[in-house]
Amino acid sequence: MKIQVRLKPHFRKIRIIAQGFVMKKYLFLFLFPLSLLAHLNIAVSYPYIGALTKAIGGDHIETVVLAKGNWDPHFIVPRPSLIAKVRNADALIMNGGQLEIGWLPPLLNRAGNPKSMPNAPTFLNLSHHVELINKPSSVDRKEGDIHPDGNPHFHLDPANILLLAEVIKKFLISIDGEHKAVYEKNYADFLGMWQKKLGMWQEKMADKKGLKVIQFHDNLAYFNKAYGLENIGTIEPLPGIPPSSKHTMAIIELIKKENPCCILHDVYHATKTAEFIGEKTGIKIVLMPHDIEALEEVQDLASLFDYLTGAIR
Amino acid sequence: MKKILLTSALCATYLFGDAATVLPVEKRTFDQSKYIPDISVILDASYVNRSKTNDEVQHLELPGVAHGLLGSHSHDGNEHATYNANQGFNLNYAELVLSSSVDPFLSLDAVLHFSENGVEVEEAYFTTTALGNGLRFRGGKLLSNFGYINAQHHHYWDFGDMPLVYEAFLGMHGINELGAQLQWTAPTPFYLMAGFEVLQGANEQMFGNSSLEVSKMTGDANDAAIVGKDAPTLFVGYLKSSVDVGDTTFFGGLSYAQGYSRIDHMEDEPEEAHAFAGKSKLYGADFVVLHSFDSYSSLKWQTEWLNREMDGTQYANKKDASGNLLTDADGYILSSPSMLKEQSGLYSQLIYTHDKSWKAGVRYDTIYKNDVTAGGVNRNLTDDFNKYSVMVEYHTSEFARFRLQYNRNEALYNEDDRKQKIDTIMLQANIAIGAHAAHSF
Repeated sequence: MKIQVRLKPHFRKIRIIAQGFVMKKYLFLFLFPLSLLAHLNIAVSYPYIGALTKAIGGDHIETVVLAKGNWDPHFIVPRPSLIAKVRNADALIMNGGQLEIGWLPPLLNRAGNPKSMPNAPTFLNLSHHVELINKPSSVDRKEGDIHPDGNPHFHLDPANILLLAEVIKKFLISIDGEHKAVYEKNYADFLGMWQKKLGMWQEKMADKKGLKVIQFHDNLAYFNKAYGLENIGTIEPLPGIPPSSKHTMAIIELIKKENPCCILHDVYHATKTAEFIGEKTGIKIVLMPHDIEALEEVQDLASLFDYLTGAIR
Repeated sequence: MKKILLTSALCATYLFGDAATVLPVEKRTFDQSKYIPDISVILDASYVNRSKTNDEVQHLELPGVAHGLLGSHSHDGNEHATYNANQGFNLNYAELVLSSSVDPFLSLDAVLHFSENGVEVEEAYFTTTALGNGLRFRGGKLLSNFGYINAQHHHYWDFGDMPLVYEAFLGMHGINELGAQLQWTAPTPFYLMAGFEVLQGANEQMFGNSSLEVSKMTGDANDAAIVGKDAPTLFVGYLKSSVDVGDTTFFGGLSYAQGYSRIDHMEDEPEEAHAFAGKSKLYGADFVVLHSFDSYSSLKWQTEWLNREMDGTQYANKKDASGNLLTDADGYILSSPSMLKEQSGLYSQLIYTHDKSWKAGVRYDTIYKNDVTAGGVNRNLTDDFNKYSVMVEYHTSEFARFRLQYNRNEALYNEDDRKQKIDTIMLQANIAIGAHAAHSF
């Protein structure tokens, strides 16, 4: 504690020098490029959160995305460079629902930044503000790597994006009340745009209602629910457990019996097993991006759902 | 009559049943069960097949560096077993890990090693969570952040045994000490961390501060007793940095440790009783490159180099078989020589992770410098110590892995200074249950 007290005036002094923007400019640029910029520097776990936060925060914030959009969100390598990003953040927004359990805790623990600790007012866990579905009634690893709090891939219901936008707006206002009007306006703009989009997507998906689908892992649960698609099976025998030949044969039988439209496949698992099933049954394989930059065409939030709603033909 | 009996029996059941109703957790007055910390148990067991017997390997050594690296031996009356010590089945440990936040300012972690010889507190420390400015303080018993592999637990290593240079210089626990640690992550756009540790200084192979009654062993009254130093006597500092280039992470570190040395083999080795007292320095450099092909597949190259300087006096039994003091040609009692050890070694390993189920790796170990001068004279000890390892691992899930490892050990010498070649095949099971925190890089 002593050390912190001693350092604080020191930092304040540097801040004054920096604000005055005098001689020591270059030293300051080298040492404190992130912590002293005028806007809020917000670290977020996944690209979709970054895009949403940027949409509401506009020019008053910088977002730093920790995970890459084309990787399995459950398995992110806790690279030390991410520690530096968390260390320099003024706030942190995560998905929650245990999606980050395998990689974010050691980063927070190493960063030594109280602003990115879960008890801080500058920390936001989005899963606390959304109703999670498929919450298991009992939890046992015999059932695979299940999420005890329910399915955490809630952002793939486009209606949930609106809920999350509001949560993020309130969060930004709570930590930066000065720019309340800006955040309110950005939110209103986003709301208008998104509502229009929601109608379009609804129209596009109207004739897909009731279609049966197969997935690799049930990460489209919310998307399927939103548009009335029915998931009848997964290629992995249990969550997090790689495909087995026995289960693959069972899925082939299931496909022959139930005649689902397609296999909705994520971008990060190998499609080898799906292709084998396709050969045996003739079922289509449709790549479904789960986040921004999961596929090259998907560069923002709206194009993510444009793609998803147009993928099943 | 029957009716009455039946009714009363039913009533009793009803009353009893009511009394035994278990209230839901949220309605139990004073219930604290929600504060249970994260608990996990990790089992590590192995089956070992070695080309030499247990008895043979126990007496092998790295001349001038270390002995007792393979097999089990007793020390201070305690049975010490290295990991995978015996032919056949080994229970390396059942590790109990507890961790939780203490309050808004602190967290606490305890790692308890249960083995057939008892329980060892591997780690038990508190960590600050609210200091800010990138600062983190830790106190208790901890694994030092010296180097790269030292701070990692055995269950996270890519091989079932410790790198040779670590085990030879520091013993199977590495720098695992009572003490305090302060780390600072710099506010730079890339990762930069500096740390400093003050530790008690009681390491099995290298550091120590106890007093030694050497004259009792040497039989020479001129050998003054070695005075113990007041702990803490071990100081560790390090600097680590990392950058990413695309999907490749480069990580490097420089470490330094300095302390007193006391090596006491006065009683546990009756034939060759000896002791060493002096000051020691340990330098380390580590370099890791991790390239990720996708979410599950990667290639990791990890190398660490260690160099140590131990400067002190070597004491040994100076009596001959009939109990007379040994003398030189002129009739002088042999003195206890000043001794300087300068030793260096490294390991380098390459691990390929194919997918969530399969992993394979190779490792090369060497100690290539072994300059030991006693009384100003170079003892010309061998510096030819090598070890080669390969392994393949199968994971049924994140929580269970089975590893097949083969070691070719060409680093150990027998009592006649003859190099021994030892082949070892090891099948290891490492299984975890419960809530276990994710590992850092």
